[in-house]
Amino acid sequence: MTNISSSAVVAEAEGPLVPVGLPTEPKKAKPGWRSLNFGSRMWIALGIIGFVAALAFIGPLFYPFGPDEKVGSLYDYPTWMNTPPTFEHVLGTENFGYDVLAVLMASARTSIIIGLLAGTIAVVIGVAIGVLAGYVGGWVEELLMGFTNIVLAIPSIVILILISISLQSTNVPFLKGAVGLALVIGITSWPWTARAVRAQASSVATREHIDVAKLSGARTPSIMVRDVLPYLASYAVMAWVLQLASAILAESTLSMLGLGPSGANSLGKQLFWALAFQAVATGAWWAFLPPTIVLTMISFGLLYLQSSLDEVFNPRLRRGKKKNLAKAAARRAETARKLAENQPVEVNA
Amino acid sequence: MSDSVFQQPSRRAFITIGGLAIGGLAFAACAPNASTGSTGATGGTEAKLGVGNNGQVGKGRTGATADTLFIAGFQWGAPATFNPLAPTAAWPAAANVMQITYETLLRWNIATGEVMPGLAKEYKLDGTKTVTLTLQDGVTFSDGSALTAADVAANFELGKKNTGISRNAFWQAADAVTAPDDKTVVVTVSQKTKNVGNLLRLLTETYILPMSVFSKIADDKLPTEIMDKPIGTGPFTLTKADQTQVVLALNENYWGKTFYGGLPVVKQIIHPIFKSNEDGNIKFQAGELDIMQQFVSQIWKMWEGGKPVGTYLKDKPYFVPGSMPMLLMNTTKKGLDNKAVRKAIASAIDYASIAETAMSGYSAEVQPSLILPTGAEGKFFNADDAKANGWKYDPAAAEKILTDAGAKKGSDGVYVIDGTRLGPFKLITPTGWTDWNASCEIIAKSLKAIGIDCSTNFPQQAETTQSIQGGTFDMAVWYVSGVNPATPWARFKDIMSQSEVQPIGKTTFANYGRWKNDTVEALLTEASQATEDATKKAAYDKLDALYRTEVPACPIMYRPDEFYEYNASNFFNWPDEKNSYAPPMFRGAGNTWMYKIKKIAG
Repeated sequence: MTNISSSAVVAEAEGPLVPVGLPTEPKKAKPGWRSLNFGSRMWIALGIIGFVAALAFIGPLFYPFGPDEKVGSLYDYPTWMNTPPTFEHVLGTENFGYDVLAVLMASARTSIIIGLLAGTIAVVIGVAIGVLAGYVGGWVEELLMGFTNIVLAIPSIVILILISISLQSTNVPFLKGAVGLALVIGITSWPWTARAVRAQASSVATREHIDVAKLSGARTPSIMVRDVLPYLASYAVMAWVLQLASAILAESTLSMLGLGPSGANSLGKQLFWALAFQAVATGAWWAFLPPTIVLTMISFGLLYLQSSLDEVFNPRLRRGKKKNLAKAAARRAETARKLAENQPVEVNA
Repeated sequence: MSDSVFQQPSRRAFITIGGLAIGGLAFAACAPNASTGSTGATGGTEAKLGVGNNGQVGKGRTGATADTLFIAGFQWGAPATFNPLAPTAAWPAAANVMQITYETLLRWNIATGEVMPGLAKEYKLDGTKTVTLTLQDGVTFSDGSALTAADVAANFELGKKNTGISRNAFWQAADAVTAPDDKTVVVTVSQKTKNVGNLLRLLTETYILPMSVFSKIADDKLPTEIMDKPIGTGPFTLTKADQTQVVLALNENYWGKTFYGGLPVVKQIIHPIFKSNEDGNIKFQAGELDIMQQFVSQIWKMWEGGKPVGTYLKDKPYFVPGSMPMLLMNTTKKGLDNKAVRKAIASAIDYASIAETAMSGYSAEVQPSLILPTGAEGKFFNADDAKANGWKYDPAAAEKILTDAGAKKGSDGVYVIDGTRLGPFKLITPTGWTDWNASCEIIAKSLKAIGIDCSTNFPQQAETTQSIQGGTFDMAVWYVSGVNPATPWARFKDIMSQSEVQPIGKTTFANYGRWKNDTVEALLTEASQATEDATKKAAYDKLDALYRTEVPACPIMYRPDEFYEYNASNFFNWPDEKNSYAPPMFRGAGNTWMYKIKKIAG
């Protein structure tokens, strides 16, 4: 076999690591979710993301205060610090006198929506350019990659700041809000995805099944979508997760500079106002710590998810329980020993 | 194997440590601050005055800087020049700051509205014809030369030699300055404007400079000449200035020893130059600054935390109101040209929220008037008329004003009046003006709540200024005249002047909203030329009544003219409401405390 670069394919070719058909005791049927071979990292990552998502999308349905509802004054202490302690405003109030937890929920929602939108835009552009360049090759590739390299060479934060400033002074409400910001982040963060996808696509383009597809008369767009793209899907998903995380961070960076979405809450805007109203100097930790922690949780959760997705897509990296690994290693050693001694290997095929 | 790189136990340990660190930080933040200093009452046999708002004083500074006053909040970059005629002059040569190196003929007192003696020991008004000033005895500059009345007259003549310097404006208020003898200066009031208030304002703000220095400078070089050794009549001379600090030393031969009842208490004044407000605030809290003029959010946390920090007023709003940032409305924009819409906007703004959160509680209740209801202008404020014909935060009333004027709510929840949708309006103010930015957010939210589409935008200061002066803005938060001898007339002029307004696109310095009215100019003249309080009050009543029907702009909060805040760690007897020998200011009559504060140590 030649031209096999995807490690997933390598793993497949080597066959099952654990010889099948060894005498086993009849097993109890596992519940459905357990058969998902995700590993503990994946569950931790999903747990963190699930928690933040629940905070952002389900929390506001049950929380009695809205993010625009003035419930107190400038940096009121969390109510559990009062005597007697109550749990009315667990995280106190921020500089406008709004409940920090209510604002935090609204902020997390905006940040996640911006991240999803921007991440999707970036991946769609990146994959489209990458596949086109990698598969078609020739001058198209030169042109597209030249353009990508130029965009890569310009510091994206500078472009982000400049476009955000000009967007802010437009009178189009659509562009001033979260959607506009997501667009800006999306269209500035695709280049590295494009480059990585092009590398993969040009490798896939030389495989036999592409030749088969060509011989069968498929047209180029159809080959790109049906025969190239599926081989990149696992990479694209992981790139999307990373783009999601970096888009959320980019939004907070811009918002902290005061270029956040107009008329919407976001985690970065919460930090911006906390800085502007000297929450750090006056010790109002409840104003800046919660958005910081949620931001950390989102990006940590997404990066962790990405690294555990690696395991899902690439069985070689998959780590099971140590016990099982040791057993499997022992079994492999045994097989090897038997092979070396020319003993028949037990294969039930 | 990838497993060997990331060992499970170490990661768990990392997360545990991280969690503990965050938790620890949270608890450290809630722990009450350790209290420092002792109470004023226990420090001596009798209670000390002018101490921290919690009644405490510090132990005093000893050593090399025992006789040094640390002050901050006036100089933010490396000092470029100490030429008071330069627009970029550094503190204390910058225009209208504390009279440390340069002094003025008269000094303004923001608390009482008095014009007090400075280099001139008295002034006499002759209706709207002349102002006669008599100089103090023995006034000398720091180089030993004497100040004569002829020098004073020549000082104002500088304004004619170069139209680019600020004292050129003096000649719009005055026709002539003469010196009949060595001690007397006679200023002829401009017979065109007859505005004595404005003339007095200029006399309280114009430094008297040594003509021995300035007569040698070519006319066109007056604002650009670089000076590093300023010579003035003030009690301190510059000894050192770099990008980190400005250092001034006491002039032992200061002329004002007898007038002020002695020399200033300190031998040296140091103004450290900080990068940001926060840096200064931290030093101030620690007692490394004795007095400063900086915005501190929630300053009460300092004295609640045991620091001997004080303000003039002991209760909210802590600072004496001295200026009123305005919400300007561009009356040439469709929708905003309707006075009912403008009044609805004024009634829709949640002023209490602005005062409480954006201004950290430092603003008193805002009145529907261009006159400050307290302090120097209080005597002109008509509380009954403001109550009867003014406005206050009342969203229901605001919507009623709109519907009464024929507005109908569209399907998107925004009112439409005479076919014009109310919005989208853009509300601007310079970026980084934190409390104003926050006020804008509250205003935009308030307006959206009643059905006026408004969003905020914070461009750079230069861009904001251009769009306000050029009249291309929709709505803006901007400043107008603070409190001085020319207000409230100057403020009415800033908002309502018809004679100074320029068409859209041309720079104007008054009536930015381009509001049009046929009767106001006569009323403004009447107010500016009135000399008695009763006639002034009558004129202001008419102006304010017109203002309340037309609402060309509306005040959104009151700010102090200067943030006056002291730390009694090293000195006490600072002026405050219980010890009110001087007004809470630095400029004008604010210099009095320099001579009256007392050292704690030694």
